[in-house]
Order: sequence, then C-alpha cells, then structure tokens
Amino acid sequence: MRAFEFILRRVLTAIFVLIGVSLITFAISHVVPTDTAALYLGSTRARPEDLERIRLKLGLDRPLSVQYAIYMGDLIQGDLGDSIATKRPVLQELTDRLPATLELLFFGMFMATLIGVPLGVLSARWQGTWADVIVRIISIVGVSMPAFYLGLLMQIAFFRNLDLFPLSGRVDSNLRFTNPIDPITSFFLLDTFLTSNWVAFKDVFHHLVLPGFTLAAYPIGLIARMNRAAMLEVLGQDYIRTARAYGIKERVVTYMYALKNAISPTLTVIGLTVAYALTGTFFVEVIFNWPGLGLFTVRSLLALDYPAIMGMTLLGASGYVLINLIVDLLQMWVDPRIRLQ
Amino acid sequence: MKRFTLFVSLLVTLSVILSACAPAATEAPVVEPDAPATEAPAPVVEEPAGPVVLRIAYSSTIDTWDPIASFSTEAAYLPNVYETLLKINKPGSAERYTPVLAESWSVSDDRLSYTFNLRPDVKFHDGEPMNAAAVKASIDAVKDHGGAGFIWWSVDNVEVVDDLTVKFNLSTPQPIDLIASSMYAAYIVSPKALEGFAADENFWADGKSYGTGPYMVESYTPDVEAVFTQNTEYWGGWEAGQYEKVVASLVPEATTRQQMLEGGEVDLAERIPNENLSTFDNDPNYTVFREPSFFNYIAYFNTLRAPLDDVKVRQALSYAIPYEDIINIGASGLGTQSFGPVPAGVYPWDDSVGQYSYDLEKARALLTEAGHEGGGFSIRMTYTASNASEEAFAPLIKDSFAQIGVDVTIEALSLGEQLKLARSGADAQDMTLMLYWPAYADAGADNLWSLFYYTEKPSWNLSYWNSPEYNALWDEASALSGTDFEASKAKYVEAVKLLVDEAPGVYFYDTMAVYVIPNAIGGFEYNLNYPFWHFDYYNLRAAQ
Amino acid sequence: MDQTTHTHAESQNMRTTRHVINVILRDPLALISTIVILLFILIAVFAPLVAPYPDQGQGSTNAGDTMHPPSEKFILGADRLGRDILSRIIFGARPALVVPIGVVLFAVVIGAPLGALAGYKGGWVDEIIMRITDLFLAFPSLLLAMAIAASIGRGLDKAAIALVVSWWPWYTRIARGAAVSLKEQYFVEAAQAIGVRDSVIIFKHILPNTLSPILVQATVDLGTVILAMGGLAFIGLGTQPPSPDWGLMISEGRTFILDQWWISTYPGVAIFIVVLAFNLLGDTLRDIFDPRQYK
Repeated sequence: MRAFEFILRRVLTAIFVLIGVSLITFAISHVVPTDTAALYLGSTRARPEDLERIRLKLGLDRPLSVQYAIYMGDLIQGDLGDSIATKRPVLQELTDRLPATLELLFFGMFMATLIGVPLGVLSARWQGTWADVIVRIISIVGVSMPAFYLGLLMQIAFFRNLDLFPLSGRVDSNLRFTNPIDPITSFFLLDTFLTSNWVAFKDVFHHLVLPGFTLAAYPIGLIARMNRAAMLEVLGQDYIRTARAYGIKERVVTYMYALKNAISPTLTVIGLTVAYALTGTFFVEVIFNWPGLGLFTVRSLLALDYPAIMGMTLLGASGYVLINLIVDLLQMWVDPRIRLQ
Repeated sequence: MKRFTLFVSLLVTLSVILSACAPAATEAPVVEPDAPATEAPAPVVEEPAGPVVLRIAYSSTIDTWDPIASFSTEAAYLPNVYETLLKINKPGSAERYTPVLAESWSVSDDRLSYTFNLRPDVKFHDGEPMNAAAVKASIDAVKDHGGAGFIWWSVDNVEVVDDLTVKFNLSTPQPIDLIASSMYAAYIVSPKALEGFAADENFWADGKSYGTGPYMVESYTPDVEAVFTQNTEYWGGWEAGQYEKVVASLVPEATTRQQMLEGGEVDLAERIPNENLSTFDNDPNYTVFREPSFFNYIAYFNTLRAPLDDVKVRQALSYAIPYEDIINIGASGLGTQSFGPVPAGVYPWDDSVGQYSYDLEKARALLTEAGHEGGGFSIRMTYTASNASEEAFAPLIKDSFAQIGVDVTIEALSLGEQLKLARSGADAQDMTLMLYWPAYADAGADNLWSLFYYTEKPSWNLSYWNSPEYNALWDEASALSGTDFEASKAKYVEAVKLLVDEAPGVYFYDTMAVYVIPNAIGGFEYNLNYPFWHFDYYNLRAAQ
Repeated sequence: MDQTTHTHAESQNMRTTRHVINVILRDPLALISTIVILLFILIAVFAPLVAPYPDQGQGSTNAGDTMHPPSEKFILGADRLGRDILSRIIFGARPALVVPIGVVLFAVVIGAPLGALAGYKGGWVDEIIMRITDLFLAFPSLLLAMAIAASIGRGLDKAAIALVVSWWPWYTRIARGAAVSLKEQYFVEAAQAIGVRDSVIIFKHILPNTLSPILVQATVDLGTVILAMGGLAFIGLGTQPPSPDWGLMISEGRTFILDQWWISTYPGVAIFIVVLAFNLLGDTLRDIFDPRQYK
C-alpha cells in the first residue's frame, strides 16, 4: 500500500510540474520577436493578404491568454499544433524522430555503462595505484570534452583518416534497395535484429558507433566515478571483510558481493546521466546529421518555430520528469528501505 | 589471479568495442524494391549492368511539398515532379522557350490574351488527364493562395477554350510566356490534389506527387532523405542510362556533403564550399563549373532617418565598401561586383548603369560635403544569421566605415526577425544586408519592383526610399514589357541607373553558381534561369 | 550572543579555506589546474597586452591574410577574415571565463538566499519556493537555456541571462538542504530566543554556513557552464560575430576543417583545457566536502 501511495504522490507531483512547465514554455515562446505568419508562409516574400489569412488561421490576432487556453485545450487532446516550418503536426514530427534519438541515447548509455562500470571497478580494486589515477584522468577528460568538438575530431579521425566508420546519418541510403529495414519498432538495431537482416544490422551498428561514443564520453566519466565510490564504500564494509576472512576468492568478493551492492547507486547515476545525455544529443545530432529530436530542436530554435520549440521543451521536461520517476521507483525496488522513509 | 579476472573483464569490454571497428564490406547496390524485409539473410543477387540509383547529397531544405505554395529551396526537387507549360532555356539558346505541357502558343494582336495548345495524352501521376480544366484550376489556385501567386497579377481570368486549349486573358500586357515558365507558382497540378488541399490544409505534409513530371516522390523522411522513382508513363519516354531511382539525402553541413562525395557515399553533391574547390579542380575525375547565377547580395539604407536620408551620405558609404575584399572573403573570389540590383545575366541587366569603386577619399569628401566631416555618426547593421557569406563580410564593412569615422554595430538575426525589425519604424536598423533573387527570370518585374518601388506599406522596400521618378520609370517599363521588349528594357535600365546614382541601397556582388560534377555522370547542364533546380534527373546519365 | 555566533560561522569558513588550500597544494593535479585557471584569468584580464594582434582579437578584419596557415606571423594561423587565431583565443578567454563565472555568481546570488529562506522558514514559504524551483528543475537545463536564448534574441548577454535562469534552482536546492539542518543548531535557536530578526538570522547565520557546499558545487558547475556557453555559441545562440568566442570559432571553422583545420582545432583545445582544469579542481574540492568518496 505504501508503495502505491508513494507512486501516486510522485505521479501527481509530476502532473503539477508539467502544467507549470507548459506555462513557462508558452511564456518563453511568445516573446519571440519575429513575424510568425511570414515564417509560416515559408517565405518572407509574401503578399499582405496571405499574411492576414495566416494570422487568422493561427489565431495570432487573439489575446495571449486566449491563445494559451486554446493551446492547453488542444494539448489535452494530444494536439501540439502544427510546426511553422514543416506544416506537419508537431506531435507527429516529434514521434517520428523520437526512435532515432532514443536509439542513439540507449546505445550511447549502453556504451557508457559498458566502459564506465569496468573502469570504476578497476580503479576501486586498485585504489591509489597508477590504474586508479589513469581512470580518474580518463573520466575527467570525458566530462571536459565539448561534445560538439569531440564529434568533429571523431569524424576526422575515424572517417577521414582511417575510413572505419561512416561520416553521418543513420543508415546507408543504398540499404533501402538492397536490404530494406522493416520499421517494426523504428529502433533500427532492434528491427534488423528481429528480421535477421544482418547486412543492415551491421550498417546500422556502424552508423551508431561514432555518435554513440561522442554521446557516451560524458556519462563514461560520471559512471566510472560513481561506480568507484560505491565500490569503495561496499568493499570497506564488515561483511566483505568477513567474506575475505573466510577465504572466499577476491574475484568472487569483487563481483558477487561488492559489484552487486554497488549497482544501486550506479543505477541512480546512470538514470540521471540519461537525462543529461538527452541534451548532449543536440550537439551530437547536429554534427552527425542524425535525424532525431536534437537536430529538429536546433533547427526549430534557429528558425523560431515556436510550436515546435514548445512541443520539444514539453517533451524534454516530461522525459526528464519520467526518468526521475523511474530512477526513484528503480531505487525503491533495489533498495526497499527508501519506501519506509 | 585477481589481476587476471580484471584483465578479462576489460578485454571483453575492449573486444566488443574493437569488433565494432571492423570496416564495413561495401555491398553492391542491388535494386529489389519489392523484396520482403523479413526475408532472412539477403540472398546474393547478381550485380546489374549499370548503376540505376542516383544518390545526391542536398543542402536544400524542403519547406513544403505543395507545388502551389512553394516559394523556397524545395525548387531543387519539385521541377523533377511537376512541369510548367513552358520551360525557359538558358541564356544564349537559339530558342527562348522549350514547350513542355504546351505544344505551342500564340499571343493576340492587342497582346491581351495568350492561347496555349496543350500536349495531348498527358496524365498526372494519379491518372487524371492533364487538360485545359486542370491548367485553369492550377493557375486559379496559385493566384488565390500560391506562395508566389503575385506573378500572375496581370491575368484577369483563365479560359477553357476546349479540352486542350487554354486562354489567359490579361488586364494589361505582360509577358505570360515568361511567367508561365517560372520556377514558382507555375506548375500544373492534378485537380484531385487541389481538392485534397481544399479539404485538408495538411494534405501535402508527407510528400506526395500529383504532377506530370518524369519522377514521382516515392517516400520522404524529414531530415533524412527524399526518394524519387521513375514515372514509367512519362510522356517524354525513357531510354537506357537514365536513373530509375534518385535518393536525395538531406545534408545541411557543407563539409559533410563534400566528404560524402569524396568518400563515394553519394554520386553528386550540391554546394561544395567555395574554399575547398581546388581539391576538385586538381582531380581529373571531376569537372568544376563556375557560372553566373540568379543571386546577388545587396543592402538597404534606411532612408527615413538622418543622416541616411541624405543622398550624399549614402553615396559616401557606397564608396566606402571594400567590394573586392568582400568578394574574396564572402565568396572566395567567386563573384562579380554588381551593377545595381539586377544579377549579371538576368534580364534587364546592363553594365551601362555603372557601379561604385572603393574610394575612401571620395567617401570622406562626400561626407564633408554633406556636413558630416570626419563621419561621427553610427549605424546599426543587421544580417541574416544563417548566411555564412554575410557573416564573413559584414565585419569588413564595419572596419572600412570606421576609417571614414562611421561606427557600425553588427547584429545577426533570423530573416523573420530582420524583416520585423526593418518594418518597426523608429527602432528599425539603418542597414539591412540581404541575399535576393527574382521569382522568375525577370529581375525587372521582381527585383526592381520588390526591392525599391515605393508603396504605402512596403513588404520588401526596406529602404523606404520614395522616388516618384523611379516609380514612374518602372511603371513605364512594366507597361511596355508585354508589347515592346527592347523599349521596356531601356526604361528598366534608366531606372537602375537612378538606383545606382541615388544609392538607396548597396549592390555588393552577384554570386556564382558552382557545380562539382564527377565525370562518371553525363548530361549535366546548367540553366541560369532555374537557379535552384540544380540537377535535372531526367537529363542525367550514368556513364557506360 | 549575536557576535559569538557570527564568529562561529566565520572561523569555520576560515578553517575550511585553510584546509582547502592545503589539499590543493598537496594534490599535483589540483595545483596544476589552479595555476592553469589563474593563468587563463590573467590572460583574459590583460588580453590587450598579451595578444599579438589585439585589434584582430577584438574583431578587426585583415582580409589580406585570409586562411593563413600557422607560421611565425600567426603562430596558430589565421581565420577566414585573416585574424590571428591566437589573439582571438586570448580575447575569447573573456567570454569563456568571465561570463560563466558571472553566470554562476548570479545564479548563486539568486538561488542561495531563496533556498536559505525556504529551509529556514519552512511551511508555505518553503512550499512555494520549492515548487517553483521544481518547475525549473523539471527542464533539462540546456534545453531551457536554449529555448530562452532563442526567444529573447541571440547574443552573449542573452545567453548569459538564459543560463542564469536555468541554473539558479540548483543552488536553491542545496542552500535549502543546508538551512534545514542548520536551523536545528544551537546558535540559530539561541539567536531566535533573544529575538534576532529572521532576515538577520538568514543573512548572518544561515547563508554564510551554506556557502561551503555551494562554492564546491559552483566550482564543479563552472566547467559545465563553460561547455553550455560554448555549445550555445556553437549552434548560433550565443556570442555573435565578430566578437571572439571559442564555441563560435569552432562553429565558424567547421566548414574549413578539412583543409584549414587550425581554425576550429585550437579554440577546441582551449575550451577543453579550461574545462578540464575546472573539473579537476572541482573534483578535489568535492572530495574534501564529501568524504564518503575517500574512505
């Protein structure tokens, strides 16, 4: 019952937060100093009568409070309005691009975990040695590298000079004719796996590596550091000492006992880094021409496409709130003591 | 032992990463569009005789798929899908026009009606017949809500004479043959699509094809690609060597496009950075075309306020523009200083109108004459934030003006913000940099009117320059344009001369169109009059 | 009584400061970082004296030397407008360091007193402040900053405002946490007992004692804010040309990275070094105040 109450309270707070978020977003988007009707027409070389027609259509002649009420009314029905630049419903624009971004995000986080956790374990096991120092430097270098710069370097090194990975995009355009991907989930890695489309799988994987690693650089550092701290804390505890005293092999102690117990705080940090990496995708997608939300957001921001900006900020905030909620629930599941607090 | 475990865990991690690094085997392009995606491991198919897929990296965005609303860079794609009554040939051709959907046309003696005889047996992609009713419906729609509908302002009505004859009745003589060949607002579209749009404003959102052109839109993924496929029913017929499919990848970053072209990821790429052309000049596998273009860079002076309301000050500033440096930095030297706001090679360009030289002494003298010895005033200048050329050369103007005592602040704004600011009256900027191009091959009707013709509420005359003399000249020229081309041009030239002398704006340079074409691809031809239609898929051929 | 509690906070802060200096002196990485940061600050302050071409550093063009490769004349090469990259980097240190420091300071000045107030007062004051804070924390900071920067117009000042707006709630949260625990302490209760006004308690007793955790957080955040600032400039929402800015320089040079690699490369190195230095320093500081990490 307590768990249920906890979840309910968190969900209600989340809804309250999102309503506030919509208000802030709306306020931000409506100070935009531009001629929205002209933007909508795609060209600023429009006739006055066309501009007037669009102003009426978009409701730009009404007071802001009315515009907000209309926006919220539509929002409840799942309508985020139409993008000014593309004329397509914003919701559709976002859902079309979401899988690309999520695939990149998950792949990047997977890489970060795969590299970060062993680095953390390594430096905890060899605390104070050169290995520890190296891991510390690697992790701080990771969080200090601007993604928009690292991406450029990766392209030059691995495409231009070594020709190991493709330059940009999500799949090779030839695949559509040779090994078309069936978009079951729109997560191409998963789709190609499910349909045993191995040629495409390999290609999708190759396209993911450079942007994935660029995105992972920051989380690697955080995960490695958090995992190291958690491991150290666990390794210092009595039952570990007892286990060692019983002559249990160090390997078993490290992996069976310590790592298992260090996972909970590491999970938290992974969850929180997902939220951070979400904003990292903006730069990564711009550099790698990745057809996801980040590219769309940056373009919308520069074009002052305010329905799109609002949609994206709302989605970003919802995602953030959701991730925090999931992290809380995961922690509760891993560590039941939290429920009792 | 302990070390060993760690080593293993690291090795596993590393090996996963390294295994990802194996270079991808290049698969032969095999066309098999109908193959079920679920078919497990792709069967090895024999390589076909020649490449049938053309892959192009484009920078042009697709703002809309609606051929009626289109008034932007989607003109790079739409002419492969939609056709106009006539096509205007490149300058210097024997014939001015090539008939497309019209087979022939004639003008009445009073020059107030144009009759077009349509090509028989042409069908739209949706199977509807292309006939007089469809032409009328398209032109009516574009006049009503087209992006560039204004180009038809002189047309009173479009009359269906019979199934294959259509007549344009004018209120005043205008060159309808020229207008009908426009890259905007002149496509003939299936009536089904016009009905569809009337019922649903988002009809065009996903990329559809309702034209008569040689290619159809097969699919469109925003930010990724548009795929075009042959219209097998095309009235012009098909021959060997033409591309069956065209994949247009959308790649906004110039360097990325260049690398894709060099790396063989695409066969063609639009807009390679001018700075990097030497790589291709020295490569025997490529031909680099440098041609005059439709575009030029201008600036408006806000003539409503002192001191820019003084013609002497405007002339002084025009002498203080380092034209050569601007072309060298803004376009890597690939441009020519403009003669007024008409781009070189576009009607009614004429070099007799003259141009300003870079002469700071003259500039200082003119300022002194105007009562501003040593400058002493400041200017707020805006440019379009996304325009890399303006970004590059704007500081040159600032530095040069500083030498005659004029202080410049530079602001980068989006085009929409710039226009809004320019129209805001008292707060408006003093100088607005602008890249402009005419809607169709007539800079007299477009540039000269849009940029500097004074109207009560100007949409593009952001200099707010009000010269009854100029307006009168333009009116005369326009009235003559439908009857006496030469006399019309003479009047236009007179008008441009006034623009140069009175300097309501600065005319920086005409850009050059640059194309890097691999020698493996044949049939490329540059037509100045369709500046956005970089690649005519129907004409291109894969070299055998 | 008032006097003694005051000195309590002060002496504690002084002890902390001495401790911090000791730790930094003992940790070579932190020491080097501190020196690097001080060096960059000095360079930023004395940019006109240090830069080989001060005019070019500030934006003056030099069309004759466009895209000049690194040489004796231009150690790090010249950009598209013929401007010395080194001078641009030196002048770019100003927005790159001073503005983020200002952003973090403003965010602390706005955020910390609100947090102290919320934590000390509790009740509905706490409720209102923290719910508003939650609203701002619900956005990914960079996304919020980008949206604000785009709406209020491009420019360094606008980007700075946008970052302050999205950063202050973090300090509110930290200050509140510290204030809640301080409220129970004897010197605060004593001050309340003799009728010291709330505003005095908050500013004299609570706030000074929340400063340590906030300053640590601020140091750690500086690296992130520098990256965010550079990111905004990179996508075109921060500093506008011709002003020098590292993020902007990377973006400007992106088109030329294949042949004129020096235009983007060196500003990138500069950002990396500065952020690295702040992160190394922040890492050391965090270890001092969060001893859990070093058992």
